[in-house]
Amino acid sequence: MEANNLEKKAQDTNKFDLFKYHSLFNQNVQISYKGPFDSKVLSVLGTYIQFTIGKNPKASKKIFNIFIELAQNIAHYSAEKNLFGVEEGVGSLVIAEYPEHYAFSTGNIVKNEDVIVIIEKIELINSLDREQLREYKRVQRNLPQREKGNANIGLIQVALTSANPLDIEVTLIDDKYSFFAITVKVDK
Amino acid sequence: MENLIVEGSHGVYFVPYVNFNAETGECELAGESYLEDTVLFYNPLLEWLDNYINKKREAIKFNIKLTYFNTSSSRCLLDILNMLKDFEDEGGEVAVNWYYDEEDIDMQEEIEDYEIDTGLHINLIPSTDLVKHQEDDDDE
Repeated sequence: MEANNLEKKAQDTNKFDLFKYHSLFNQNVQISYKGPFDSKVLSVLGTYIQFTIGKNPKASKKIFNIFIELAQNIAHYSAEKNLFGVEEGVGSLVIAEYPEHYAFSTGNIVKNEDVIVIIEKIELINSLDREQLREYKRVQRNLPQREKGNANIGLIQVALTSANPLDIEVTLIDDKYSFFAITVKVDK
Repeated sequence: MENLIVEGSHGVYFVPYVNFNAETGECELAGESYLEDTVLFYNPLLEWLDNYINKKREAIKFNIKLTYFNTSSSRCLLDILNMLKDFEDEGGEVAVNWYYDEEDIDMQEEIEDYEIDTGLHINLIPSTDLVKHQEDDDDE
Protein backbone atom coordinates (compact mmCIF):
# COMPACT_ATOMS: atom_id res chain seq x y z
CA MET A 1 0.00 0.00 0.00
CA GLU A 2 1.30 3.45 -0.80
CA ALA A 3 2.19 5.83 2.00
CA ASN A 4 -0.49 8.35 1.18
CA ASN A 5 -3.08 5.58 1.16
CA LEU A 6 -1.95 4.59 4.61
CA GLU A 7 -2.23 8.14 5.75
CA LYS A 8 -5.69 8.39 4.27
CA LYS A 9 -6.71 5.19 5.99
CA ALA A 10 -5.45 6.48 9.33
CA GLN A 11 -7.47 9.65 8.86
CA ASP A 12 -10.56 7.71 7.81
CA THR A 13 -10.63 5.49 10.85
CA ASN A 14 -9.42 8.15 13.25
CA LYS A 15 -6.77 5.71 14.38
CA PHE A 16 -3.76 6.63 16.43
CA ASP A 17 -0.55 6.08 14.47
CA LEU A 18 1.14 3.62 16.79
CA PHE A 19 3.98 2.92 14.35
CA LYS A 20 4.91 6.58 14.27
CA TYR A 21 4.81 6.62 18.09
CA HIS A 22 6.84 3.43 18.36
CA SER A 23 9.45 4.73 15.92
CA LEU A 24 10.10 7.76 18.13
CA PHE A 25 11.99 5.57 20.57
CA ASN A 26 15.50 4.39 19.94
CA GLN A 27 17.01 1.32 21.51
CA ASN A 28 18.28 3.29 24.53
CA VAL A 29 14.75 3.82 25.78
CA GLN A 30 13.82 1.25 28.41
CA ILE A 31 10.47 2.61 29.52
CA SER A 32 8.13 5.23 28.18
CA TYR A 33 4.79 6.20 29.55
CA LYS A 34 2.26 8.89 28.86
CA GLY A 35 -0.88 9.18 30.90
CA PRO A 36 -2.27 9.87 34.34
CA PHE A 37 0.28 9.71 37.17
CA ASP A 38 -2.05 7.99 39.59
CA SER A 39 -0.84 5.86 42.47
CA LYS A 40 -1.43 2.48 40.82
CA VAL A 41 0.46 3.37 37.65
CA LEU A 42 3.29 4.80 39.75
CA SER A 43 3.36 1.59 41.76
CA VAL A 44 3.86 -0.54 38.63
CA LEU A 45 6.53 1.76 37.22
CA GLY A 46 8.23 2.02 40.61
CA THR A 47 8.33 -1.75 41.01
CA TYR A 48 9.83 -2.10 37.54
CA ILE A 49 12.51 0.44 38.41
CA GLN A 50 13.28 -1.22 41.76
CA PHE A 51 13.55 -4.74 40.40
CA THR A 52 14.49 -4.54 36.75
CA ILE A 53 17.03 -1.76 36.79
CA GLY A 54 17.97 -3.52 40.04
CA LYS A 55 20.78 -5.25 38.13
CA ASN A 56 22.55 -2.08 39.24
CA PRO A 57 21.29 -1.59 42.83
CA LYS A 58 22.97 1.78 43.40
CA ALA A 59 21.57 3.36 40.23
CA SER A 60 18.24 1.63 40.76
CA LYS A 61 17.82 3.14 44.22
CA LYS A 62 18.73 6.60 42.95
CA ILE A 63 16.38 6.37 39.98
CA PHE A 64 13.58 5.18 42.25
CA ASN A 65 14.10 8.14 44.62
CA ILE A 66 14.11 10.57 41.69
CA PHE A 67 11.11 8.87 40.13
CA ILE A 68 8.97 9.25 43.26
CA GLU A 69 9.71 12.96 43.65
CA LEU A 70 9.21 13.90 39.99
CA ALA A 71 6.16 11.67 39.57
CA GLN A 72 4.51 13.18 42.63
CA ASN A 73 5.14 16.65 41.21
CA ILE A 74 3.29 15.63 38.06
CA ALA A 75 0.48 13.93 39.97
CA HIS A 76 -0.07 17.05 42.08
CA TYR A 77 0.87 19.93 39.85
CA SER A 78 0.43 19.04 36.17
CA ALA A 79 -1.96 21.53 34.57
CA GLU A 80 -3.38 18.65 32.53
CA LYS A 81 -5.83 16.23 34.13
CA ASN A 82 -6.98 13.04 32.45
CA LEU A 83 -10.39 12.57 30.89
CA PHE A 84 -11.39 9.51 32.87
CA GLY A 85 -12.33 11.48 35.93
CA VAL A 86 -9.22 10.80 37.97
CA GLU A 87 -7.89 13.95 39.59
CA GLU A 88 -4.23 13.08 39.14
CA GLY A 89 -2.12 15.01 36.67
CA VAL A 90 -1.11 13.76 33.25
CA GLY A 91 2.49 13.63 32.13
CA SER A 92 5.17 11.70 30.28
CA LEU A 93 8.12 9.67 31.49
CA VAL A 94 11.08 8.12 29.71
CA ILE A 95 13.96 6.11 31.13
CA ALA A 96 16.87 5.61 28.75
CA GLU A 97 20.07 3.67 29.32
CA TYR A 98 23.48 4.69 27.98
CA PRO A 99 26.90 3.08 28.49
CA GLU A 100 27.86 5.39 31.39
CA HIS A 101 24.54 6.56 32.77
CA TYR A 102 20.77 6.41 32.88
CA ALA A 103 18.73 9.40 31.74
CA PHE A 104 15.45 9.84 33.52
CA SER A 105 13.02 12.35 31.96
CA THR A 106 9.57 13.54 32.89
CA GLY A 107 7.41 16.18 31.28
CA ASN A 108 4.07 17.80 31.83
CA ILE A 109 1.99 20.80 30.91
CA VAL A 110 2.33 23.83 33.15
CA LYS A 111 0.65 27.22 33.19
CA ASN A 112 2.84 29.91 31.63
CA GLU A 113 2.55 32.00 34.79
CA ASP A 114 4.27 29.20 36.76
CA VAL A 115 7.16 28.70 34.32
CA ILE A 116 9.45 31.49 35.55
CA VAL A 117 9.30 30.29 39.16
CA ILE A 118 10.28 26.74 38.16
CA ILE A 119 13.12 27.91 35.88
CA GLU A 120 14.48 30.23 38.58
CA LYS A 121 14.36 27.47 41.17
CA ILE A 122 16.22 25.05 38.90
CA GLU A 123 18.81 27.65 37.89
CA LEU A 124 19.44 28.30 41.57
CA ILE A 125 19.78 24.57 42.28
CA ASN A 126 22.23 24.14 39.39
CA SER A 127 24.34 27.09 40.58
CA LEU A 128 24.98 25.57 44.02
CA ASP A 129 27.70 23.12 44.94
CA ARG A 130 26.79 20.04 46.96
CA GLU A 131 27.32 21.58 50.41
CA GLN A 132 25.35 24.69 49.47
CA LEU A 133 22.59 22.51 48.06
CA ARG A 134 22.38 20.53 51.30
CA GLU A 135 22.12 23.76 53.24
CA TYR A 136 19.41 25.06 50.88
CA LYS A 137 17.51 21.83 51.45
CA ARG A 138 17.75 22.16 55.23
CA VAL A 139 16.46 25.76 55.09
CA GLN A 140 13.58 24.84 52.77
CA ARG A 141 12.65 21.81 54.86
CA ASN A 142 12.20 24.05 57.88
CA LEU A 143 9.70 26.30 56.12
CA PRO A 144 5.96 25.68 56.68
CA GLN A 145 4.67 22.84 54.52
CA ARG A 146 2.54 23.37 51.46
CA GLU A 147 -0.85 21.67 51.48
CA LYS A 148 -0.09 18.80 49.10
CA GLY A 149 3.57 19.55 49.22
CA ASN A 150 6.69 17.53 49.08
CA ALA A 151 8.20 19.78 51.75
CA ASN A 152 9.36 22.15 48.96
CA ILE A 153 12.46 20.05 48.61
CA GLY A 154 11.55 17.51 45.93
CA LEU A 155 13.65 19.11 43.18
CA ILE A 156 16.54 19.81 45.56
CA GLN A 157 16.53 16.17 46.62
CA VAL A 158 16.42 15.09 42.95
CA ALA A 159 19.55 17.19 42.27
CA LEU A 160 21.32 15.76 45.34
CA THR A 161 20.41 12.19 44.45
CA SER A 162 21.41 12.59 40.82
CA ALA A 163 24.66 14.44 41.66
CA ASN A 164 24.39 15.99 38.19
CA PRO A 165 22.89 19.30 36.97
CA LEU A 166 19.17 19.28 36.20
CA ASP A 167 18.51 19.70 32.49
CA ILE A 168 15.24 21.46 31.68
CA GLU A 169 13.49 22.39 28.48
CA VAL A 170 10.37 24.53 28.27
CA THR A 171 8.30 24.62 25.09
CA LEU A 172 5.63 27.27 24.68
CA ILE A 173 2.33 25.71 23.59
CA ASP A 174 0.03 28.74 23.48
CA ASP A 175 -0.67 31.92 25.45
CA LYS A 176 -1.77 29.88 28.48
CA TYR A 177 0.34 26.75 28.64
CA SER A 178 3.86 25.40 28.14
CA PHE A 179 5.38 21.94 28.20
CA PHE A 180 7.98 21.50 30.91
CA ALA A 181 10.53 18.69 30.55
CA ILE A 182 13.25 17.77 33.02
CA THR A 183 16.04 15.25 32.43
CA VAL A 184 18.12 13.89 35.25
CA LYS A 185 21.30 11.85 34.79
CA VAL A 186 22.22 9.01 37.08
CA ASP A 187 25.75 7.70 36.68
CA LYS A 188 26.24 3.96 36.58
CA MET B 1 -0.18 4.56 78.18
CA GLU B 2 -0.45 2.10 75.32
CA ASN B 3 2.14 0.90 72.85
CA LEU B 4 1.88 2.19 69.30
CA ILE B 5 2.32 -0.51 66.68
CA VAL B 6 1.85 -0.26 62.92
CA GLU B 7 2.55 -3.25 60.73
CA GLY B 8 4.42 -2.04 57.70
CA SER B 9 3.28 -2.81 54.19
CA HIS B 10 4.74 -2.51 50.72
CA GLY B 11 1.90 -1.98 48.27
CA VAL B 12 0.89 0.95 46.13
CA TYR B 13 2.29 3.02 49.00
CA PHE B 14 4.99 2.01 51.49
CA VAL B 15 3.91 2.05 55.12
CA PRO B 16 6.80 1.87 57.59
CA TYR B 17 6.87 -0.53 60.53
CA VAL B 18 6.28 1.31 63.80
CA ASN B 19 6.78 -0.07 67.32
CA PHE B 20 6.72 2.51 70.13
CA ASN B 21 6.91 0.82 73.53
CA ALA B 22 5.39 2.77 76.39
CA GLU B 23 6.90 0.47 79.05
CA THR B 24 10.52 0.63 77.95
CA GLY B 25 10.57 3.91 76.01
CA GLU B 26 12.14 2.04 73.11
CA CYS B 27 10.77 3.18 69.75
CA GLU B 28 11.44 1.71 66.35
CA LEU B 29 10.68 3.08 62.89
CA ALA B 30 11.74 0.76 60.08
CA GLY B 31 11.27 -0.14 56.43
CA GLU B 32 10.18 2.32 53.76
CA SER B 33 8.09 5.47 54.05
CA TYR B 34 6.09 6.71 51.08
CA LEU B 35 2.50 7.42 52.01
CA GLU B 36 -0.73 8.60 50.48
CA ASP B 37 -1.14 11.17 53.25
CA THR B 38 2.15 11.60 55.06
CA VAL B 39 0.94 14.03 57.72
CA LEU B 40 -2.08 11.86 58.55
CA PHE B 41 0.26 8.90 59.11
CA TYR B 42 2.87 10.71 61.19
CA ASN B 43 0.53 12.78 63.39
CA PRO B 44 -0.34 9.85 65.71
CA LEU B 45 3.38 9.09 66.08
CA LEU B 46 4.07 12.69 67.09
CA GLU B 47 1.07 12.65 69.46
CA TRP B 48 2.30 9.43 71.07
CA LEU B 49 5.76 10.92 71.61
CA ASP B 50 4.30 14.15 72.94
CA ASN B 51 2.21 12.14 75.43
CA TYR B 52 5.15 10.01 76.47
CA ILE B 53 7.36 13.05 76.93
CA ASN B 54 4.80 15.03 78.92
CA LYS B 55 3.28 12.22 80.99
CA LYS B 56 6.00 9.62 81.53
CA ARG B 57 9.06 11.81 81.17
CA GLU B 58 11.29 8.72 81.08
CA ALA B 59 14.22 7.85 78.81
CA ILE B 60 13.58 7.38 75.09
CA LYS B 61 15.66 5.17 72.85
CA PHE B 62 14.67 5.92 69.26
CA ASN B 63 15.83 3.42 66.65
CA ILE B 64 15.50 4.31 62.98
CA LYS B 65 15.95 1.55 60.40
CA LEU B 66 14.44 3.20 57.36
CA THR B 67 15.86 2.15 54.02
CA TYR B 68 13.81 4.63 52.01
CA PHE B 69 11.70 7.72 52.68
CA ASN B 70 10.42 10.36 50.29
CA THR B 71 10.90 14.08 50.91
CA SER B 72 7.41 14.41 52.30
CA SER B 73 8.24 11.79 54.96
CA SER B 74 11.60 13.46 55.58
CA ARG B 75 9.83 16.54 56.89
CA CYS B 76 7.81 14.46 59.38
CA LEU B 77 11.01 12.74 60.52
CA LEU B 78 12.42 16.21 61.18
CA ASP B 79 9.37 16.96 63.35
CA ILE B 80 10.02 13.79 65.36
CA LEU B 81 13.71 14.55 65.84
CA ASN B 82 12.96 18.16 66.81
CA MET B 83 10.54 16.90 69.44
CA LEU B 84 13.20 14.56 70.82
CA LYS B 85 15.72 17.41 70.86
CA ASP B 86 13.30 19.64 72.80
CA PHE B 87 12.83 16.84 75.33
CA GLU B 88 16.59 16.47 75.69
CA ASP B 89 16.98 20.23 76.16
CA GLU B 90 14.46 20.04 79.00
CA GLY B 91 16.55 17.38 80.72
CA GLY B 92 15.07 14.24 79.13
CA GLU B 93 17.28 11.26 78.38
CA VAL B 94 17.31 10.66 74.62
CA ALA B 95 19.33 8.26 72.48
CA VAL B 96 18.83 8.15 68.72
CA ASN B 97 20.29 5.19 66.83
CA TRP B 98 20.13 5.26 63.05
CA TYR B 99 20.85 1.93 61.35
CA TYR B 100 21.89 2.36 57.75
CA ASP B 101 23.43 0.50 54.83
CA GLU B 102 27.10 1.45 54.71
CA GLU B 103 27.03 1.60 50.93
CA ASP B 104 24.18 4.10 50.92
CA ILE B 105 26.11 7.39 50.80
CA ASP B 106 22.95 9.43 50.18
CA MET B 107 21.45 8.09 53.42
CA GLN B 108 24.61 8.98 55.39
CA GLU B 109 24.36 12.55 54.11
CA GLU B 110 20.70 12.63 55.00
CA ILE B 111 21.44 11.60 58.59
CA GLU B 112 24.23 14.20 58.86
CA ASP B 113 21.78 16.84 57.63
CA TYR B 114 19.37 15.86 60.41
CA GLU B 115 22.15 16.20 62.98
CA ILE B 116 23.06 19.67 61.69
CA ASP B 117 19.42 20.66 61.47
CA THR B 118 18.32 19.53 64.93
CA GLY B 119 21.53 19.70 66.96
CA LEU B 120 20.68 16.22 68.18
CA HIS B 121 23.42 13.64 68.41
CA ILE B 122 22.59 10.64 66.20
CA ASN B 123 24.48 7.37 66.58
CA LEU B 124 25.21 6.07 63.10
CA ILE B 125 25.14 2.30 63.13
CA PRO B 126 26.31 0.60 59.93
CA SER B 127 24.21 -2.44 59.24
CA THR B 128 24.60 -4.94 56.45
CA ASP B 129 21.37 -6.77 57.10
CA LEU B 130 18.61 -4.25 57.47
CA VAL B 131 15.63 -6.52 57.97
CA LYS B 132 12.74 -6.11 55.63
CA HIS B 133 9.90 -5.16 57.95
CA GLN B 134 7.18 -4.85 55.39
CA GLU B 135 4.98 -7.50 53.90
CA ASP B 136 4.49 -7.33 50.15
CA ASP B 137 0.92 -6.37 49.64
CA ASP B 138 -0.15 -7.12 46.11
CA ASP B 139 -3.85 -6.70 46.74
CA GLU B 140 -3.76 -3.09 47.69
